[in-house]
Amino acid sequence: MSNTMLSIGFPAILASSVHDIKNSLTALRALIGKLESIHQDPKPNEFRQLEFETNRMNNCLMQLLTLYKIDLSQFNLTIDEHSVSDILEDVVAQQSTLLSFGNVQLITQCDDELFCYCDNALISNALCTLVNNAQRYCLSKVLLSVAQEDDYIVFCIEDDGDGYPENLMSSDYKQLPQIDMANGNTGLGLFFTETIAQLHIKGQNRGFITTDNNSQFGGARFKLYLP
Amino acid sequence: MAINLASKKILVVEDQAIMRETIKHILGSFGARFIIEAESGINAITAMRIDKFDIVLCDYNLLRGKNGQQVLEEAKHLKLLPINAIFIMVTCEQSQQMVLSAIENKPDDYLIKPFNRLQLLSRIERCHARKQYLSSIESEMDNGNIYQAIHNCKRLLQNEDKKMHLQLLKLQAELTIKVGDFKTAEQIYQDILQERELPWARLGLGVVAFFLGYYDQAIGTFQELIEQYPVMLEAYDWLVKAHELMGNDEHAVSSLNSAVTLSPLSILRQKKLAILADRIENFPVAKKAYTATIKLGKNSIHRSSSDYSGLANVYLKSNAANEALKVLYELNQQFNNDPEAKIRAALLETEIHQAKGNKALAQQAYGKTFKLNEQLNRQLSKELRLELAKTFYLNGNNETCDEILNDLIKTNIDDNLFIKNIVTLCNTIIGGDYAETLIQQIKKELIDINNKGVSLFQEGNIKGALAIFEQAIAKMPDNHTIILNMVKIIIHDIKTSKPEQEKIMSAQSYINKAIQVGIPHNQINGLQTELDTIRSKTNP
Repeated sequence: MSNTMLSIGFPAILASSVHDIKNSLTALRALIGKLESIHQDPKPNEFRQLEFETNRMNNCLMQLLTLYKIDLSQFNLTIDEHSVSDILEDVVAQQSTLLSFGNVQLITQCDDELFCYCDNALISNALCTLVNNAQRYCLSKVLLSVAQEDDYIVFCIEDDGDGYPENLMSSDYKQLPQIDMANGNTGLGLFFTETIAQLHIKGQNRGFITTDNNSQFGGARFKLYLP
Repeated sequence: MAINLASKKILVVEDQAIMRETIKHILGSFGARFIIEAESGINAITAMRIDKFDIVLCDYNLLRGKNGQQVLEEAKHLKLLPINAIFIMVTCEQSQQMVLSAIENKPDDYLIKPFNRLQLLSRIERCHARKQYLSSIESEMDNGNIYQAIHNCKRLLQNEDKKMHLQLLKLQAELTIKVGDFKTAEQIYQDILQERELPWARLGLGVVAFFLGYYDQAIGTFQELIEQYPVMLEAYDWLVKAHELMGNDEHAVSSLNSAVTLSPLSILRQKKLAILADRIENFPVAKKAYTATIKLGKNSIHRSSSDYSGLANVYLKSNAANEALKVLYELNQQFNNDPEAKIRAALLETEIHQAKGNKALAQQAYGKTFKLNEQLNRQLSKELRLELAKTFYLNGNNETCDEILNDLIKTNIDDNLFIKNIVTLCNTIIGGDYAETLIQQIKKELIDINNKGVSLFQEGNIKGALAIFEQAIAKMPDNHTIILNMVKIIIHDIKTSKPEQEKIMSAQSYINKAIQVGIPHNQINGLQTELDTIRSKTNP
């Protein structure tokens, strides 16, 4: 038994299982949606939690699969010019179900004329993961804003929660942060975002991320810099 | 741009009932009223035969039968999709898109599962807005009026819509390549790259180098791209073409093999790999690729009897006549009323029996081949006819072989790769400079016809000249010189007599044909401008 597994390789088994789980998850979400449509407003709070958890599972799986393919050299960015407002619209659309349940406000801010060279599917996925988390840990609002800073387009997510725990504010995101089993936060989202940010290159500049607790609302602040 | 779904016909292709229900529910909540569901590829095609859909949402991973890509290919091939229809492919992950994206038939957009109602709506709306914006270009492209499409592209660029700017430039560059205006395309790509390193613009430069005949430079560009973007299948496809034209089939096979590993479900790549590997006598690879092609072909419009005969021939060459016989049996089973398949089967039967030493049976099959060839002749594909010529020669029927070769060279004189294949074949089986002599002879004949037409024209006998070229085109439909002269004479005719709409249309169709067969831009451009001037004068 163990020999068979070795010959195929654990990562490959994991990747193909991720596929299966993702299919199940898609069906699961459809079923939840069906149940939800039966309930009258106000809907039970459990739907919000279900939406959050399935979002998180889906993001996690997508990140695992992408990291696996990057590792195998079976993945590359599809870089093109994209309108920043389109990317934000994608993020808001993805988060719309979750937003519809709660009392959290997601505010977006950007200049309509702002453009960004990136792999838009990956970037909006990464942003979704982080906004999804921010929605969980904030009190009442999350601000997603984009602006140009020198040679970089900077995506900034700020909330009014308690801020990042110590272990997620290391300056080296290339290392997976210490896994904190107690509160279940592995920092995979940050590691993933840093990995794909690094793949965005222009001349001497590479993309990167920063985290701190200097949010204008007093909570956590995340920044993604793309050249 | 908001889209009114109430007036749209929508097709949802999805094998999971719960997903179909969800999508239908979402669309309904946005006002859609006409929604048809299909749970398989075949049903999707049937539905598209009955209704002309405005929007098709198609899952890529359909459990049985055709996958989403095969549905799209078949729909396009059968022209079941109206030109402004939106086709969105629903995939499971982003890397699937990369693997699919290099194929000729692209969907308008992708959507990754799972998605919620707003994500679905925003994807449809964006697609709709883009299609509307580009419709003046796409409809001209659909009619083959490439110059008009370029013109419309330039006009839209003047709007300086920042969101569409790069997309329009990309389209313009692709169109200018299509008409053979490589210098303009090169300039567009270089200007873009000056601003920013974009993979598609870099690829475009490689493609321009390829068409200008700088194969070494093109190969360098494609290889660098692949190093940086290991899943960029378009770069592989161009690399294979460049290696092939350089006569480096070994390299072509190894590049193609890497591309096939990344996209094992692409039947056209598998098919090409099979043929190339067969040519360099790498039988294990050829066998594997032919087998994969046959398997994929069962759900694809790209299935062909040649995949079966190719595999059988590989078995024959590796001394496995019995295996070849099995494939022949399968071929007969799969293709019942297909004339091309019949003649392939007869041809194969001849060779198998010859290999097994059954002289009488071989003779019988050969007789069948000969008869079928007489019946079908020009209806057959050029590759098959070349194979037939070889068989006739090897069986001592030089006359029929000559006839076929003559005709093949005449109709394909401008197709360098195919002419090269003819020469290679003749050199191996006939020897001497048989093919070269034939080619020279045909080129001379062509010049004679052309001169005759031109001199009639110069004498003022327009009707006579037109008749000569019309005859020549019937015989050699793809010949560059004849097509060009035809256009010139029609335009002259329009200018000197009354400009009739019919003649203008005829000239335009020959110009479109000229673009299609790859006549360089500098030879067509002037004629198109002349025709445009005439057109603007007749209907102001």
